[in-house]
Amino acid sequence: MLSLPYKMIPFLLSWGAMLLVLLRRFSAHRRTAIAAGIVGYACGEAGAWLLFHLYSAEVAVGVMKSAVGVGFLLLWSAAVIAIYRSTGRGFPSWGESVGRTKVFAGGIALAAGVLMGGIVACRLAGTGSGTIACFVAALAAVVLAGAAFVVEEKLPDLFTVSPAGAMAALVSLLLFTSSSIIRLDLFAPLSMKVMKFAHDFVHQFFESMLIPDHLFIRSYLWGYIGLLFGKGVGFWGALAIWFIPVLLILLSVNLERLPPVAHIRQGAKRRKMVAAAIENRRLRLVVPALSCVVFSLAVYRSTFPAVEYWDPKPVPVTAAANGEIVIPKKGEVDLEDGKLHKFLYRQNGNQARFMAVMTPEGKLTVVLDACAICKPDGYGQAEGSVVCYYCKTLIPMDTVGKPGGCNPVPVPFTEKEDGVHLDAVALVNTWTTTVQSTTRVKEEGK
Amino acid sequence: MPSAIIQTTGLTRSYGDICALKPLDLTVPEGEWLSVMGHSGSGKSTLLNLLGGLDRPSDGSLRVGNEDLRGLTEDGLARFRREFVGIIFQQHHLVPYLTAVENVMLSQYFHSVPDEAEARFALERVGLGHRLKNRPGELSGGEQQRVCIARAIINSPKLLLGDEPTGNLDHQSTLMVMELLKELRAEERFTIVMVTHNPEVANWGDRTIHLDDGVLVREERKS
Amino acid sequence: MNKRRWLLHMVLRALAHRRGRTILLLAVLAMASSLTTALGLVSLSMGKRVAEEIRKYGANVVIMPEKARLTVGSGGLNFGEISEPVYLSQRQVEDVLARSGMRAERSLHLRGALRLQGGDIPVEGVDFTQIRRLFPWWQITGGWPAAGEAVVGRDLATRYRMKPGDLLELAAPQKVVRLRVAGIVATGGEEDGLLFMGLPELQDALGLNGNVTLVRLLVTSDGGGLGQKVSVLQGLLPGAKVSEVRQIARTSEGLLAKVKLLMILVTTVVLISAGSSVTGTMSTTVLERSKEIGLMKAMGGTRWEVLMLFSAEAALMGIAGGIAGYLLGSGIAQFITRTVFAASSEMIPWFICVSVGASFFLALLGSLGPMVSVFKLDPVRSLRGE
Repeated sequence: MLSLPYKMIPFLLSWGAMLLVLLRRFSAHRRTAIAAGIVGYACGEAGAWLLFHLYSAEVAVGVMKSAVGVGFLLLWSAAVIAIYRSTGRGFPSWGESVGRTKVFAGGIALAAGVLMGGIVACRLAGTGSGTIACFVAALAAVVLAGAAFVVEEKLPDLFTVSPAGAMAALVSLLLFTSSSIIRLDLFAPLSMKVMKFAHDFVHQFFESMLIPDHLFIRSYLWGYIGLLFGKGVGFWGALAIWFIPVLLILLSVNLERLPPVAHIRQGAKRRKMVAAAIENRRLRLVVPALSCVVFSLAVYRSTFPAVEYWDPKPVPVTAAANGEIVIPKKGEVDLEDGKLHKFLYRQNGNQARFMAVMTPEGKLTVVLDACAICKPDGYGQAEGSVVCYYCKTLIPMDTVGKPGGCNPVPVPFTEKEDGVHLDAVALVNTWTTTVQSTTRVKEEGK
Repeated sequence: MPSAIIQTTGLTRSYGDICALKPLDLTVPEGEWLSVMGHSGSGKSTLLNLLGGLDRPSDGSLRVGNEDLRGLTEDGLARFRREFVGIIFQQHHLVPYLTAVENVMLSQYFHSVPDEAEARFALERVGLGHRLKNRPGELSGGEQQRVCIARAIINSPKLLLGDEPTGNLDHQSTLMVMELLKELRAEERFTIVMVTHNPEVANWGDRTIHLDDGVLVREERKS
Repeated sequence: MNKRRWLLHMVLRALAHRRGRTILLLAVLAMASSLTTALGLVSLSMGKRVAEEIRKYGANVVIMPEKARLTVGSGGLNFGEISEPVYLSQRQVEDVLARSGMRAERSLHLRGALRLQGGDIPVEGVDFTQIRRLFPWWQITGGWPAAGEAVVGRDLATRYRMKPGDLLELAAPQKVVRLRVAGIVATGGEEDGLLFMGLPELQDALGLNGNVTLVRLLVTSDGGGLGQKVSVLQGLLPGAKVSEVRQIARTSEGLLAKVKLLMILVTTVVLISAGSSVTGTMSTTVLERSKEIGLMKAMGGTRWEVLMLFSAEAALMGIAGGIAGYLLGSGIAQFITRTVFAASSEMIPWFICVSVGASFFLALLGSLGPMVSVFKLDPVRSLRGE
């Protein structure tokens, strides 16, 4: 396991890259941009830290998550505007002039800084690091800002960034950093949303058409409709939503008109101008193309999170003759250490995976290693909560043992002096019904 | 007094022990037509290559336009050649598998972007409007040389270098080519430096310098 | 005209100008790429197939009479014919199995021939409940048979135009057997050419009560001691030969390995010689076109731009050769799997990436040396004709 400073490297690199883009975009107001960025970073980190301590982690993370989400929505609108403008249609001229003001440059840099600082604070809070770590992170950010200020000056003038390109770069870097914190990750919830939407849509739509005997629906069509229920829909749909803005921005740069050259009499000069414009346009593609790569990295980090879950191997248990499973409190494992413990009960080809855990309130709970709605991929434990591997939903430790949603399904048990007692038959029955129903839900469209 | 487009002081080029060009001081004002005469091996081709940025001097200073050619990198020299210089060769050096128009477009390609209409127009200007789609093998020597001229001037160079451009042509074609160069110079106002051993051809220029064994021996100005 | 299109146009013109050499290079590249493709396809599809066959081979031990000859030919896992009818005693085998205390699913087979419409057809007597357990991959059209019914292999059914429900009259030496066809079986193996009926009925018809020709066992080997169990059984059954089916499958694997090795050798040689012939041809081309290169540099092309023009030629040829190589290679792979393994390989569409990649890199790698000389070439000297 890498130590914390190493893990912060991607965050700081992203911060540096972000500043480079900001400085290049607002090259007329470099000092304003860098100052606003640093101030924003400090405020963001401090603000998130306060939220964590005044309210709760849930609130802080929720606020940050929605802020990043808003950034993504803004990227969408920027992309739409960019593509609209590239078709040569007019755009209110105040947009142009506002984009060049010092206030605008400062504002964008401030916002980017606040978000980045907040994300870093969330990361640090998630590992339980204290004030000193936050302070060091802020210091590193300032040093990096200085470095970025120097490096940007050295970059060749040929590289320019279009407004939408800058937006794409900023948002991609924010999403990249936030994707490495499971609670802040946007891609997994997005794909869940898309899948749920597809489900609901198909249900609503086809129920209103009186399926399955509707005249227009042939049986083979059901094959295609079934695709909408597949696991892939969520992923591919989310992927489309994820990448379309940056692709639109790339397209809009590519569609940019070349400057008018007909008035230049001399052929050589005219051609030189055209060639320079094409070269310029190609260089402006660099930043959005790199953002595209960063977006893919974010998806990768979200799909294969680098966070280490506490996920013990299930311990096989057997039932006594009276059909009772007894798990001693201090036996092979210590049930009361606050960690998740998994057990596997197997009998006559039936099996049931379940977990025992001590909640923060100090109550022992026994639950299935499966929930009532997802495929039984199981749970892992991280950052004060358990996470469902299938839908990546985080369930706070306090609510483990309560039924509903993606919470692990509770199992009836009795706590005695020597340990936890449960009924094997009831356990197997709960497991079987749960797993059967979730498997059926997943396949009902087929 | 027009400013100098070429200025050399103590320009030297030696290949090992052989000194092809002894220290040479030469100034060519903008718009001049300079003829360089001499026997073979007198260093006139070496001078031309140096002026065109194809070769590097061993010593001395060499300024063409506003560029100090000694300070340029290999790619910088290439960029200088494409924007500043047009060259006409004795052997024409047309690409055999490209048509006349495509040969001109090749020059445009290296300069910036190919533009067929413009290339076509350039060929019409040198009187080859009817031979656009012919390959070099299907053209006569004089026609090939005119394609070569069209290719040399397509990027509006400030300096046109001719390396015995009429060396392979008969008398009539020579006259035609020289007449064409004169016309084009009147329109485009480029400077011409032309190496030749034909006094009649040299006479078309404003000034003639004679090189012998890498040394400038004589200079005559047309009155 | 767009710069990129102009580049393509020029490259195509240059390639067309030296038609003979282009075709030669394309052929070399296509050949190299096709062999690579064929090698990849054969090892991919056959490797998978052999693995599948081993896996689906439910029985892992066979007991045969001592004198029955086992031949493994091009058919992969087919058992050869029995040289002269030799039989195992059903009771002896069952006794031994019971005595050895082994947990083993078993299937008893009796192979014989019966006369149908004037011709002999191979018939196998089996216990269908055992078959269903040991050979779960049998695909039956129709139904599993009851007493007095039979299952016909697909090929046999096609030959005699049988379908489920038909009544057959089979003549045995002593008597006539009447059977109803319950289903058609397709396995892709030798079963397709056989007629299956109840073991007791066939034993009765052939007058071979208590005899079988083959016993297949699915020995659950807990702890990898299959070989040891085989030798235990062998010791208890002196008149029979007990062997692991794994050995039979291994022959196929061995054959595949040998074919692969041969192909790797051939491909390596071809790749090396193709690479050097690319180098040779490209060197000649570059030498011939040195004036052209000098001219391009004199006109103001940077060394990189000129290099790109020539690399584009090599790359284009590489891609074209790769596509041709993919088509050709799939053909070769098909040929090899047909003749050597009597199976057909599949076309794998994504493999075109491998073919094109191989040819592309071969073309670029082969022209690396010539490209260096393109890069370094001095325009003054080349234009002077040195």
